[in-house]
Amino acid sequence: MKHIYDDEADIRTKAAIRVMSLFFVGLIIIAATTSPVATGTKAGERAPALEGKFYNGSGGWTEFNLESYWDSNWVEGDASGQWVALEFMDTDCPYCVRSAEDMSQNAADFDGSNPQWDGAIVNFIASATQLDIQGHDSSRAEIEAFRDKTPDSGISCASSDCGSRPGAAHAFPYIDDLDQDNMKKWKVGGTPSYYLIQPDGIIAWSSSENPGEDLRDAILALVTRESAQTDGA
Amino acid sequence: MQSLLWSPERVHKRMVLEMDSNIQLMLYLIPTLIGFFLVLPIGKILANPLSQRFPSIATERGRLFFGLILTGVAGFAVSIQTLWISSKVSEGGNFCASNTVFSCDDVIGNANYNVDPIFGLPWGGIGATAFCVFLYLAYSSSLEPNSEWVDNYLKLGTALTFGGFFVIALLISYELEMEKICQYCTTAHIANVAAFVGFYRLMKLNESGEWNQDS
Repeated sequence: MKHIYDDEADIRTKAAIRVMSLFFVGLIIIAATTSPVATGTKAGERAPALEGKFYNGSGGWTEFNLESYWDSNWVEGDASGQWVALEFMDTDCPYCVRSAEDMSQNAADFDGSNPQWDGAIVNFIASATQLDIQGHDSSRAEIEAFRDKTPDSGISCASSDCGSRPGAAHAFPYIDDLDQDNMKKWKVGGTPSYYLIQPDGIIAWSSSENPGEDLRDAILALVTRESAQTDGA
Repeated sequence: MQSLLWSPERVHKRMVLEMDSNIQLMLYLIPTLIGFFLVLPIGKILANPLSQRFPSIATERGRLFFGLILTGVAGFAVSIQTLWISSKVSEGGNFCASNTVFSCDDVIGNANYNVDPIFGLPWGGIGATAFCVFLYLAYSSSLEPNSEWVDNYLKLGTALTFGGFFVIALLISYELEMEKICQYCTTAHIANVAAFVGFYRLMKLNESGEWNQDS
């Protein structure tokens, strides 16, 4: 007589198949209904949190949260969304002092006040840290003097008076990252480091991934322009 | 015109998101609490009136297995939901964000804490896998309760769910650090505690010699 069952069958196999089916059904539901985006600092990843106290020229140091800039409804090509250009810097780093002029110029050109710029607004933010290098002792007073370009402040930024740094005073916020919390979270290898972030919080460009390119080129190449929308219509 | 286009993702998203997240939580919390109640000694109060309709819970062993499996299914489902929430939050969406201390988006969406510190796997995925293992141990034991491997399965289940306490302690420490509570995660934690009680009591019952008693 033909056997229609398996003598070696074990109830454990039956249970395992049923439970594994349940597990895979759960995973299939997630795969079918979501498109997760990894959090990280490479292009295409969601920007990690950037928190702390920030100084914006008046009102002292208040709470900052980068997430407040994001618009989850933003779609590519929408010029009304506001981008973020983030700089990780140290007020005692000579390269950062030299690049302060570029930051002044970029902020003036792309922050929405320049009538010749027909692209989306770019909000500039600096996260000021204190690198573990001798002579890089910093403070909130030093960050304020650097940002405001306070004349004769008596505070030194990379061996010169902070008020004598190149470029105009900055009008964008500076975050206190003296404890390097944000820098570690963003895995920043050195200063200055730059990130250009889309209005939906996805990183569009980073200086570490694009050596030789500068922030200005990235803004001109990636930030949505009104003219591009008109051309495409 | 585009907004009139039908897409299964959009319909699903709307159906899920339109239901209040705390009401959705009840779909998992209530079975978890019923399962927990059934694995406790006082679970007889609930099991006795139901034993006419569900004869399998008339015995102590049947009641413990039923409570354990119910808890395992609820724990698995809520873990899958937390994995779903973390995926949605990563897309930039909100599910259960709140300004109060109960804000699962803030906990599950926090990239610094929402994955395990060793392999970087999402906690929701770890929870779903763990509850599947618990379910397998409980379900296979319930199908052939007098097999010789059942004793080992119950001991393994007790050890694994006890190990879950250390994970729960770690996750609660994260919540304290964030000053936020994830109600979905808490439901999964309760399910783990209930599963430990269920496995432990089944293990003791198996050792006591009253395993095959009728009531």
